[in-house]
Amino acid sequence: MLDLFGILGGGNGLPYFLRPGVFFNNNNSSSSSSPLLQAGGRGAAADSDGGEAGRAQYSIPGILHFLQHEWARFEVERAQWEVERAELQAQVAFLHGERKGQENLKKDLVRRIKMLEYALKQERAKYHKLKYGTELNLGEMKAPSFDSEEANEKETSGSLNNQLSWKQGRQLLRQYLQEVGYTDTILDVKSQRVKALLGLAGDGTGDRSGQEPLLNGTDTAPKGANTLSDSSSVLEAFFIESAAAEFSDEDDEEDSEGKEKTIVDSRTVSDDPDAEEALKDFDFLSNTEDMDTSPESRSAGDGTDWEKDRQAWDVDQGLITKLKEQYRKERKGKKGVKRPNRTKLQDMLANLRDTEEPSSLQPSITPPPRPNANRFNEHDSSHTDEVEAITFPPSSGKAFIIGTEEAMETGELGLGELAGLTVANEADNLAYDISNNKDALRKTWNPKFTLRSHFDGIRGLAFHPVEPVLITASEDHTLKMWNLQKTTPAKKNASLDVEPIYTFRAHRGAVLCVVMSNTGEQCYSGGLDGTIQCWNTPSPNIDPYDSYQPSVLRGALCGHTDAVWGLVHSSAHQRLLSCSADGTVRLWNASNPQAALAVFNENKDLGLPSSVDLVCSDPAYMVTSFNNGRIGLFNMETRQQVLNMESTVESGASCQINKVLSHPTLPITITAQEDRHIKFYDNNTGKLIHSMVAHLDAVTSLAVDPNGLYLMSGSHDCSIRLWNLENKTCIQEFTAHRKKFDESIHDVAFHPSKCYIASAGADSLAKVFV
Amino acid sequence: MVMAEGATVVRRNRPGTTAKYIQQNIRSDCSNIEKIMEPPEGQDEGVWKYEHLRQFCLELNGLAVKLQTECHPDTCTQMTATEQWIFLCAAHKTPKECPAIDYTRHTLDGAACLLNSNKYFPSRVSIKESSVAKLGSVCRRIYRIFSHAYFHHRQIFDTYENETFLCHRFTRFVMKYNLMSKDNLIVPILEEEEEEEEEGGQNPSTGESEA
Repeated sequence: MLDLFGILGGGNGLPYFLRPGVFFNNNNSSSSSSPLLQAGGRGAAADSDGGEAGRAQYSIPGILHFLQHEWARFEVERAQWEVERAELQAQVAFLHGERKGQENLKKDLVRRIKMLEYALKQERAKYHKLKYGTELNLGEMKAPSFDSEEANEKETSGSLNNQLSWKQGRQLLRQYLQEVGYTDTILDVKSQRVKALLGLAGDGTGDRSGQEPLLNGTDTAPKGANTLSDSSSVLEAFFIESAAAEFSDEDDEEDSEGKEKTIVDSRTVSDDPDAEEALKDFDFLSNTEDMDTSPESRSAGDGTDWEKDRQAWDVDQGLITKLKEQYRKERKGKKGVKRPNRTKLQDMLANLRDTEEPSSLQPSITPPPRPNANRFNEHDSSHTDEVEAITFPPSSGKAFIIGTEEAMETGELGLGELAGLTVANEADNLAYDISNNKDALRKTWNPKFTLRSHFDGIRGLAFHPVEPVLITASEDHTLKMWNLQKTTPAKKNASLDVEPIYTFRAHRGAVLCVVMSNTGEQCYSGGLDGTIQCWNTPSPNIDPYDSYQPSVLRGALCGHTDAVWGLVHSSAHQRLLSCSADGTVRLWNASNPQAALAVFNENKDLGLPSSVDLVCSDPAYMVTSFNNGRIGLFNMETRQQVLNMESTVESGASCQINKVLSHPTLPITITAQEDRHIKFYDNNTGKLIHSMVAHLDAVTSLAVDPNGLYLMSGSHDCSIRLWNLENKTCIQEFTAHRKKFDESIHDVAFHPSKCYIASAGADSLAKVFV
Repeated sequence: MVMAEGATVVRRNRPGTTAKYIQQNIRSDCSNIEKIMEPPEGQDEGVWKYEHLRQFCLELNGLAVKLQTECHPDTCTQMTATEQWIFLCAAHKTPKECPAIDYTRHTLDGAACLLNSNKYFPSRVSIKESSVAKLGSVCRRIYRIFSHAYFHHRQIFDTYENETFLCHRFTRFVMKYNLMSKDNLIVPILEEEEEEEEEGGQNPSTGESEA
């Protein structure tokens, strides 16, 4: 009705009825003063023909009309204002929520930084300790407990390392920011402001509003930045701000730098004074939270507050993220800036929050104890694995959180790779890590091949002198020949599978030992059945499923009446030496399988021989170890015992010697003992040169590398150790093979000419390392 | 260095425990097939079958060693048992008519490869369902070694059987777990059992086998 008066149409300011030529209508019954109006209307209508109706006449009805009209207009406007106000309020609430989210985000990131820093410090301390044998004084290296106070202590303890890392961090960040487009002046200005706020200059909250324009437009760095109170915190705030800024506005540092610049510029200029104003009103909200916990006097209660906040926000996080996204889009006017990282970061934090309690993060950041200093990356991998079960997007996170050079190196690929690394359950993989840590100068041995085919434990190993061929002797009555260059592709892990090319069948019981001649043409095996079988080694290139060649088996050397435990071949004399559980050590002519040439110890004077070896430095001699711990040096030509090595075992406590080995060049005999020791004896005097505890369980086997520099020992504790013979230190340790019947590794061997080492396990596997 | 023969440590989770258990039982009395066949409580059937098959392959080596002396490619040019069938060796790309000794060796080597392969039997603690079918085919081929030895090298077979009762055990094994069809069990073990009553408490009317 009222529209007739042109009110809603906005009109031209002049009350409709005052305009010339306007006819009043009788239809307006909605007004309370309608009779009057109508009367006025009629009155006016009477005059309206003339067109001079009420130009200068102010009649009561007219005035009333006018007032009503105005009132109606005001009502409408008020309604509009109400609507606008409601909208603005909603916006404000939304922004507020966003800011809170930012605060939480920042807190999480700060938390993470502290954790990582702590972990880094620990690693450095460890490294330092290992490297220099002393403790690195990092001051208090308490695990961050998410108390600002404690963090302050830690930070301000101010060791050199700390300062250095901060400087490096800052440098790095400056670099990033410059790439981003921040100029130095802006950085300085910002840092000034931050410092001021943080009370370094002693100011309280006075500068908060000053901070507003800066923070406001960014919609990132939260006001919470001003609750930190330290130089470290400055840095943290700094790089949260800048980094979060990076995240919100760019995808990668390297990409779209031009765009970044404009974004940054637009951001630093507070682009919405209205919003700023409005937000100032909401200061009180932040103040109530943050003011209570003023920077200097943060107490343990802060942690719980944060907890509450966290919980309160847990629920809303998703919604807030959505709203933020929306809002951002609106604000930026759809600049087309992709924000994958931001969302991802949010998700990451949501996950972090959801999956972890802050306190539980602390213990898990201590990396598993390692004997050596780890590279930072390696540490991080274990840390990452333990703390974050989720996979991070490759480009996020790492680069900005860690302000160290190493992070720089890993850069973009950092986390993706590292998150993918798993601390495998298999003991084998542990060894890989350990071996990877070693000094790069030294050769580290890595598992390469797994030889699977035996049905029962493998007792002996022998390498071919020249070819990459290995022969294994097993308790399943067979020997198998393997060509290491013929591998079959295995579906998982680095270890390649090899299949045997030949199976030697002749023994009637477990095969206990195997040796090859120096040419590799023949090999000999001794078994539980008391026989020594002589074989012509088939060619390494034969087809595994070829026809049976009876000529492979040359013959058997019979003579022993019990299991043959040890065999050794002498190339110089074409002799074969064997020791058996029947108490004898026999000498055979290798080229002509016949009765034994010589028998030693027939009357079991010295006990039962467990192992023999030829003295390399003097081929006429051989050394035998006995299961009562004695070692005897014999002259084979005179068939006399020359020397009885000093066995330092107390009377009554005999220690079985599992293996005796003669050094290739020096007149030294090395023994592997049941009591976990490895002992070194001088051949000339028979005296014990050195003794060391080598393993956690009985040492079962020894091997010396062809150059005489390294010793390898295998043990029932499932480990193989490599020793430097000069200083008798352990260079490397592998864990390999499972235990079967409490036995694990039976034999180890070096390849005479190639870079292979092999181990024989009771779990029916043989492993080859390169 | 003596092989430990300690108390039975039965820990299901560890690979190789089943093998230990079986070996212990065999060592104590290899004629007590019932006991050897009886799985311990809670034993996974797939693993039980697998480990038994490994043990059979292991022990068959002994028979193969004996056969090597007597079974020459000249005399036994093909792998046969009765005149009905000639068995082709599956170890080659295309099945080949290997002489008996080659068939024996190839089958045992092939079984070793298969049973130890990472692809089909990656773990000794649990057997993949898809791989259980392989056990059947391995059994079938291995059985032919028994049948060839029975029909062509009777003395060796008898001596070996008296020492180890391997064929008896194998027959009982495949029947118990239905790894082979009864038609293929041509070695007249059960008739002998009926006659000789070797096994105490053996039910005389267990299945019939073809002579």
